[in-house]
Amino acid sequence: MREAHSAAVAGVVILSASVALISSLSSLSGQSASFSQSVQPVLARNCFACHNEKLKTGNLNLEALQDNSQASQHPEIWERVLDKLTAGQMPPPGQPAPSKTEIAAVTHWIDDLLQRSGPNRAADPGRVTARRLNRVEYHNTIRDLLGVAVHAADEFPVDDSGYGFDNIGDVLTVSPLLMEKYLTAAAKISKLAIYGETLPPKPTVLVRLMPKKGHETGVPPAGGLTLPFSMRGAMYGSFVFPADAEYEIRVRVANYRGQDPNDLSPEQLAQIEARRKAFLARKKQGGGAPKRVRREPTAEELKAREDAARQAFPPVQLVASLDGRQILTGVVEGDVTFEYSRGEFIARVPVQAGEHFLRASFPELADLDDPRSNVNPDGRRKLYVDYTDIVGPFNPSAAPPESYKRIFLCGHAPGHHQPSCARPAVENLLRRAYRRPVTKEEVDAKLRLVALAQKEGDAVEEGLRIALEAVLVSPHFLFRLERDPPSATAAHLVTEHELASRLSYFLWASMPDEELRRLADQGRLRQPGVLEAQVRRMLKDPKGANLVDNFAAQWLQLRTLGRTKPDPDRFPVVDEELLDAMKRETQLFVSAVVQEDRSILDLIDAPFTFVNGPLAHHYGLKDVHGEEFQRVSLDGEQRGGLLTQASILTVSSYPTRTSPPVRGKWVLENLLGTPPPPPPPNVPPLEEAKLGNTLTMRERMEQHRKDPACAPCHTVMDPIGFGLESYDAVGAWRTKDGAVPIDTSGVLPGGRSFSGAKDLKQILRSQSDAFTRNVTEKLLTFALGRGLESYDRTAVDQIRRQVAANDNRFSTLVLGVVNSQPFQMRSGRE
Amino acid sequence: MNISLKKELPRRTFLRGLGASLGLPLLDAMVPAFAAAATTSSKIPARMAFVYFPNGVQMDHWTIKADTDISALPATLPRTLEPLASLREDVTVVGGLTINGGRELGDGPGDHGRAGASYLTNAHPKKTFGKDIQTGISIDQIVAQKIGGQTRYASLELGCEEGIQGGNCDNGYSCAYSNSISWRTPSTPNPPEIRPRAVFERLFGSAEVETDPVRRARRQRYQKSILDSVLEDARSLEGSLGKTDRRKLDEYLFAIREIETRIQKTESQNTRAVPSIAAPSSSIPENFEEHAHLLMDLMTLALQTDSTRVITFLLALEQSNRAYREIGIAESHHGLTHHGGDKEKIEKCIRINQLQMAQFAYLVKKLKATPEGDGTLLDHAMVVYGSGLSRDHDHDDLPTVLAGRGHGAFRPGRLVRFPKETPMANLHVTMAEHMGVPVESFADSTGKLNYLSDLG
Repeated sequence: MREAHSAAVAGVVILSASVALISSLSSLSGQSASFSQSVQPVLARNCFACHNEKLKTGNLNLEALQDNSQASQHPEIWERVLDKLTAGQMPPPGQPAPSKTEIAAVTHWIDDLLQRSGPNRAADPGRVTARRLNRVEYHNTIRDLLGVAVHAADEFPVDDSGYGFDNIGDVLTVSPLLMEKYLTAAAKISKLAIYGETLPPKPTVLVRLMPKKGHETGVPPAGGLTLPFSMRGAMYGSFVFPADAEYEIRVRVANYRGQDPNDLSPEQLAQIEARRKAFLARKKQGGGAPKRVRREPTAEELKAREDAARQAFPPVQLVASLDGRQILTGVVEGDVTFEYSRGEFIARVPVQAGEHFLRASFPELADLDDPRSNVNPDGRRKLYVDYTDIVGPFNPSAAPPESYKRIFLCGHAPGHHQPSCARPAVENLLRRAYRRPVTKEEVDAKLRLVALAQKEGDAVEEGLRIALEAVLVSPHFLFRLERDPPSATAAHLVTEHELASRLSYFLWASMPDEELRRLADQGRLRQPGVLEAQVRRMLKDPKGANLVDNFAAQWLQLRTLGRTKPDPDRFPVVDEELLDAMKRETQLFVSAVVQEDRSILDLIDAPFTFVNGPLAHHYGLKDVHGEEFQRVSLDGEQRGGLLTQASILTVSSYPTRTSPPVRGKWVLENLLGTPPPPPPPNVPPLEEAKLGNTLTMRERMEQHRKDPACAPCHTVMDPIGFGLESYDAVGAWRTKDGAVPIDTSGVLPGGRSFSGAKDLKQILRSQSDAFTRNVTEKLLTFALGRGLESYDRTAVDQIRRQVAANDNRFSTLVLGVVNSQPFQMRSGRE
Repeated sequence: MNISLKKELPRRTFLRGLGASLGLPLLDAMVPAFAAAATTSSKIPARMAFVYFPNGVQMDHWTIKADTDISALPATLPRTLEPLASLREDVTVVGGLTINGGRELGDGPGDHGRAGASYLTNAHPKKTFGKDIQTGISIDQIVAQKIGGQTRYASLELGCEEGIQGGNCDNGYSCAYSNSISWRTPSTPNPPEIRPRAVFERLFGSAEVETDPVRRARRQRYQKSILDSVLEDARSLEGSLGKTDRRKLDEYLFAIREIETRIQKTESQNTRAVPSIAAPSSSIPENFEEHAHLLMDLMTLALQTDSTRVITFLLALEQSNRAYREIGIAESHHGLTHHGGDKEKIEKCIRINQLQMAQFAYLVKKLKATPEGDGTLLDHAMVVYGSGLSRDHDHDDLPTVLAGRGHGAFRPGRLVRFPKETPMANLHVTMAEHMGVPVESFADSTGKLNYLSDLG
């Protein structure tokens, strides 16, 4: 039914637009009395004190809207007013509040206005500006188009973002620098796709993967790949293997398990000290170390020493894995020297060309209560993977690369192509690269490049490579262009190929696959049931991770995690591995909501999460061991939902401490969609001298709120943030901040008092309308690649209602977006 | 010390396909293939560069107290200027300049977004999350568009901090406004390159540059046909796009044409610059100072080899939250600048400003140590160091230091204080003229600045 609706939507819109226009005109006179009688007086009494011509608090001047006709021209202002009123955020506490009837009169008038202007404005599904592929989309599209795993897009300048996302057509520009990089990438990718990787004549060290050696160590010299720092000595990262072949993975382990001075008895320490002093005394006299008579130890002595070493330093297992599959285990033993020794562990494994994730680590160390117990007093870790060399390729496959098969449809072996192969190859390539049917002229134009190469004496392959190189810098490839049908001045459905692209870039950040393309070719994408089935299929596909990795990561600001790292002096156990684990938890959690089609309100609070050993220790959760992430049930006391995840708690903190206003702002902005306005200019500084240094953060903030300039926002932000004070700046649970016991109680505007995250989450759940509206707006923005306009309000409301009516299921949200008018349609020529 | 590139980049041909952090080789058609003695031009060109730092300064520790508006720099400089102590005779400290476009002007908060986007444009950026980005053309681009044809790169944009990816930037201003300070058009920023290795390869190429004349010529014919072919694609779209899509296509066309000219220039150029430094690592240094030094070495080389005459450099982005742990500061910079009068935080802000200034001093020393003609590169360069914010979030009396003499454009060694509200655009107009680009008026400019040069 939904599909039928969307197919017919174009006609309906035009009809409803004119009806709405008429009705809104006719009702104008009737409304004016109501505004001046029941709205303006309330505003004057309760709002004008701040929102006037002079102060314009929150950049809002309500005084200016003097009569109904002026007021009716600014539905966008009233939307904001309505949001604040219904969220109970205005007027701020301490200010006289209007009665419930008065508020109802105002909200009623606003609802009415928005409804009148709603359908009218909804006639416009909006126009998305031609979207240049962003870096992620470029990477994925190249992968899916050619089967080439190459990180060319990493070299492109960062995509600018707007409306919180980096896929906004208006903001994605093309600079000469980017064009230069496109050309370079096209040359490189086309060579790889046609000829495969240029392999060395014999196996060599392809790369040295080097984890950082400390919280803040710099990069190794050229030639290595720097990987994150792990206090538990692990090494992990991705590498693009050049060909189907065997490779040696050589893991170099450092074993610095000296005797921990903390474990030594006072007698032993005294002995060491005496020896040191004796040595220094001798050295002063110029004697140096006493001459030792070196004698090879006897077999018995050697064995005794080794046994002693094994007892002092029990063997630890080393495990290496490729894409999670174990490829190597080894045992790192105590050493005869009782000192530092290194070892190399080698595995030889067949690997398919492309990017793979390599990890080498000591799983037992994941269960250390405190990772610092793997660190020697001198700062070096006791056990760690020093580096890993990838050596190869051994016995590389002689078969042409995957990309070759995708391009050369004739199936001839390399070097045996006929010129007649060129046309089908080019046509197929264009159709897929441009994500639409192509004309004969377009194919001919690129075939001329093939002919040119042949004229120059090059083979057909080289000709096709040049054609491919041109395709990869063509505007038809780099941009997602939506063409208006001839003489389309009115809103219209986008073509099915355009719809297929909208779908695939929304859910996958990549080009449509063969199935979508076929459906679009056959004109069946909008047939009943088809679109919904496709959406469900696409969400299940591994590429559906886009909604987590790109949508959620940007929405929740996870991408900034690690941009400014927590201060290692204050949070010494937070290494990059733990930061990555935090991010992973949130990814797995959001992914579970998507994959299990759960209620989106579970994002606020859910009785489960995903942790591995190190993160479980960070949380103080018992009975979670090892490095693998596992799903765990939560009792909801300390953890549950996004707000109590370390990733979010860290992102919303300073590197050195928590900040209740920052966390409060994070919640308002990202969960409720009601960001507080920024501080007014020239805020007088808190007078430290007067406050002294004895005040707690809570007391300081209370002082702050006494300032009328600060109060309106801080009375909303601060209590939310204080509710989360049981979590420190890296998300660990705490009962004290320094010596001060944590107090998580607060009073929200409207007088509702609460204490702690649990209460706070309940309150948020009770405001599910605001939350759902916000998630809908964010997802629709991401899906469309443009900022929402006032005319999108109807679509948002529709989706929101559908979601609420269907247990807030995630799939309803996605389907609502996909079926919405702005997603299905495009307004006429500007 | 000259190092052969071939030796510096072994196994490059093979390695280029591997791993995320290995650089892409430069489009070889843009690198001259034939090494030859450096040409000595009779007329040494003037150069122009801007080094930007974010989040303003503590003006109490920047402002030089002097009785007269023009005076010699004092023996003791305020703390923020201390890194310039040994360069006293090479810099001009300028006061009184204002960028009115950075101010609120009824748009409410967002001084950081506006500061970055107005710094070289002097325009008042339109407040938008992204739909209709609009500031002005920046002065570096006005100059580059006129004289850029004489060098391989019309301009270079460099930076030490990667742009914000997703999320929100400053109070309703798209991140585009703070990610770049160079604007080719009012809606098209030029993003900075932050990878030293990529800058190196743009200047000097990689080991892959084809040197066989026959193959190179053929490769260039292909390149030309490819560009012709995509230009044809773009032109076929011209009639069928709406207004905003058309704007995107124009960006595309401009970029393609820019590359075409660059290739033509390279063809006519018979020399290949040989770098005096080794290719930097493909990784980006974590250490701020190390990163800045590498880029400034390359910046000096780019000017020295006349690969470009116009460079902008972003030490960090507006509202940067970088924590400068290398000098023992764990808190984020932007957070610290909202110090609320806390003395400890103010002290940290000053030290960060000193660190930033020290990078500029490094650059100036580098330029000064590069002989050119009868003098040094610094004698022929005009380098501006500054920020679009002064105290708190103000846009007047902006902290500004000029280095170099720019062929007599500047007479350094002095403090020059202009009357309050003198437009920064006046400085830009003055500099453009010395670059050989007379600009009648630019944004809110009211004329050229006197007192900076030997003449007045």
